[in-house]
Amino acid sequence: MNVSDLTSGELRRQLKKTGIFLQTGSFVTHLHTSIPSVADGIELLYQDYPLADSHGFVDFHVRLTTPLNIRRWFKPQVFFQSDGNSPFTPLPLDQAFPMFEWGLNWCVSSHANSYLIIHAAVIEKNGYAAIMPAPPGSGKSTLCAALINRGWRLLSDELTLVRVIDGKIVPLPRPVSLKNQSIDIIRQYAPGAVFSRKVSDTVKGTVAHMKPPSGSVAQASEIAQPGWIIFPKYQAGANAHLERQPKARAFMRLADNCFNYSLLGLKGFETVANMIDQAMSYDFTYSILDEAVEIFDALAPPLST
Amino acid sequence: MNMRWRALPELNLHARAWDDEFVVYNSLSGDTHLLGSAAAQILLMLQQAPSDAIALAESLAPRLQLESELDEELAEQITHLLSDLHTLALIEPIRL
Amino acid sequence: MSPSTLVLRAFREPDSLVSLGLAEWDLLLRQVRHANLLARLYTVLEERSLLQQVPSQPLEHLNWAYVVLDKHAQAVRWEVMQIRKALADVDIPIILLKGAAYALAKLPHARGRIFSDIDILVPKNRLNEVEAALMLNGWAVMDLDAYDQHYYRTWMHELPPMQHHKRMTVIDVHHAIMPQTAHVRPDSEKLCAAASELPEYPGLKVLNPTDMVLHSAAHLLHDSELDHGLRDLVDIDSLLRQFCSLPNFWPNLVERAKEIELTRTLFYALRYAVYVLGTPVPAEAINAARIGRPSRFTLFIMDPLFHRALMPDHPSCSDWLTGIARWLLYIRANWLRMPPLLLARHLFHKAFISPRHK
Repeated sequence: MNVSDLTSGELRRQLKKTGIFLQTGSFVTHLHTSIPSVADGIELLYQDYPLADSHGFVDFHVRLTTPLNIRRWFKPQVFFQSDGNSPFTPLPLDQAFPMFEWGLNWCVSSHANSYLIIHAAVIEKNGYAAIMPAPPGSGKSTLCAALINRGWRLLSDELTLVRVIDGKIVPLPRPVSLKNQSIDIIRQYAPGAVFSRKVSDTVKGTVAHMKPPSGSVAQASEIAQPGWIIFPKYQAGANAHLERQPKARAFMRLADNCFNYSLLGLKGFETVANMIDQAMSYDFTYSILDEAVEIFDALAPPLST
Repeated sequence: MNMRWRALPELNLHARAWDDEFVVYNSLSGDTHLLGSAAAQILLMLQQAPSDAIALAESLAPRLQLESELDEELAEQITHLLSDLHTLALIEPIRL
Repeated sequence: MSPSTLVLRAFREPDSLVSLGLAEWDLLLRQVRHANLLARLYTVLEERSLLQQVPSQPLEHLNWAYVVLDKHAQAVRWEVMQIRKALADVDIPIILLKGAAYALAKLPHARGRIFSDIDILVPKNRLNEVEAALMLNGWAVMDLDAYDQHYYRTWMHELPPMQHHKRMTVIDVHHAIMPQTAHVRPDSEKLCAAASELPEYPGLKVLNPTDMVLHSAAHLLHDSELDHGLRDLVDIDSLLRQFCSLPNFWPNLVERAKEIELTRTLFYALRYAVYVLGTPVPAEAINAARIGRPSRFTLFIMDPLFHRALMPDHPSCSDWLTGIARWLLYIRANWLRMPPLLLARHLFHKAFISPRHK
């Protein structure tokens, strides 16, 4: 059963009363909230996602609530709770849906230690994954959103999960977060794409979320191999080009972009080392999306060593 | 003053190398380091036996194919390198 | 509260966990996580070879906790080595306390015990040198307002917590195990004199077995923060099980409690360990410990307070009394440490003048 099998009214009723049990990638999240904008976001962007058994095991228990004091009405706020813990200070109520998305990312990145978790977008073609680590402002989300609308499969736009036991990339496809100008750029680039409404004045600027392609959600259990590690950088006016990176340097940059590299100790070291061995590492500069797509499509599969 | 150095006792390193550069994981501290080949060689030598900057320069010079007059300069560079390795908690001076 | 609450069952009868359904595992892990005992649950199941019988989804969460446990052990060892190096020139016996002690003494229950600060005990008259040596090596007193600094230095039994600027780790330096203003003050010199060497780590010591138990008990019952109540009780249970086979352990424990004036503490510790976790304490020891028993009326009040306050701070473990119970115990714990007038002033300050983010 998917979210789309519920009527709008039924979805909202369940979110409010018992919560819903959402399957995203390999995680089950129990989401409980009466906030309308969160229900809107779920209804619009999570249609293709399976609903899990309500009597089973849940990975993350998430509640989004409004306070019981005056802040319920005056400059209203929203709280994010994960099993009773509030890891964040409250945000304006208007930002409730983005808060759900950021909060769920936090749940995964601070707990799921059977994976090396890289702050990177990751997409797949022909069984090989292109991993794009990037500090904020590098344009990775824009690039990711463009590529998945040109034939690449979305594995994740924020959290690359590398399974420690075998080095495979495990998908966690979720709505793609875009900000500021990127929203309109991708709207133009992919006219059929579905977007949540824009939310302004967040700490990241104006944000919106894009519904992931149905195919990516349907294939959430298909793992991939590391193929390429590509450090993107948007640069106005630049021609799209790739530049090979020395492996040891790429190692340090990749490790630096991980949430739990240190926590994993020796296993973290070995997982990164194996990825660097297997995949080819590049710096990538671009300004025009079509050029970027061309370059990505021309990427040769890594040679087996 | 030519200080003698040794690798930390019980130092347990894991290393991988690509093109002359090394990444090294220190199991004691949990830290990861990027080392050039000179630093990596020196670390390896100190793990085998304690030494000092001058002796290390003499061992390394032939491998780097340097003229003998440059030994002093090399020794100085090695002194800096040893200080860096100390800061990274990979080696320690031998107290007499 | 009754011992049938899942989290208590996990530590009283771990073997019974294999019959749990998925929804029960879900609830159990949430309770255990709130008690900061998830890693400990992993080790308990591992020791009994029960991990393979845990269903794959909860097992995944336990494996996540294992990663933390493993890293934590490495971090503690490394941190203690750095502390020893920093204090090498001060030339005093350094006694490790609590988690760091259990870890370096390689006690079985140290595995899975996650904690954030390293606690050490040093002679009071060398405190300044210790602070100076730590500062020289990168530690600095954490950002506290003047009142809290004063509180730590003057009234409590420790330097204010110091944080290392690079590793961000925190060290608590104590000169006694109970604060200066406390109702009972065990003699630190006696504790130091009886401390055990750690052969693998020259210069470092730990409290001897009976003192370790008594310190753990004092920590449970006298410290102001009660969030770790169940975790501390699990410590006491583990220590007792570990040491009970030592010759004359139980009589020595009671004698020592008398000697350093912690009989009331020992009474409560044994009482709650037996009731909550089923610790096997011989009848003779329970009887001997009755010398520390409070009045029947006090016990009547204390029992339900403790039972509720020991439960993890999780919605499924609470009833309407729980918040009040914790608050009353906080007052009680602080009362033991500070005379009433000082206490009122301290709590007022804590409630209204120190808006520290917890």
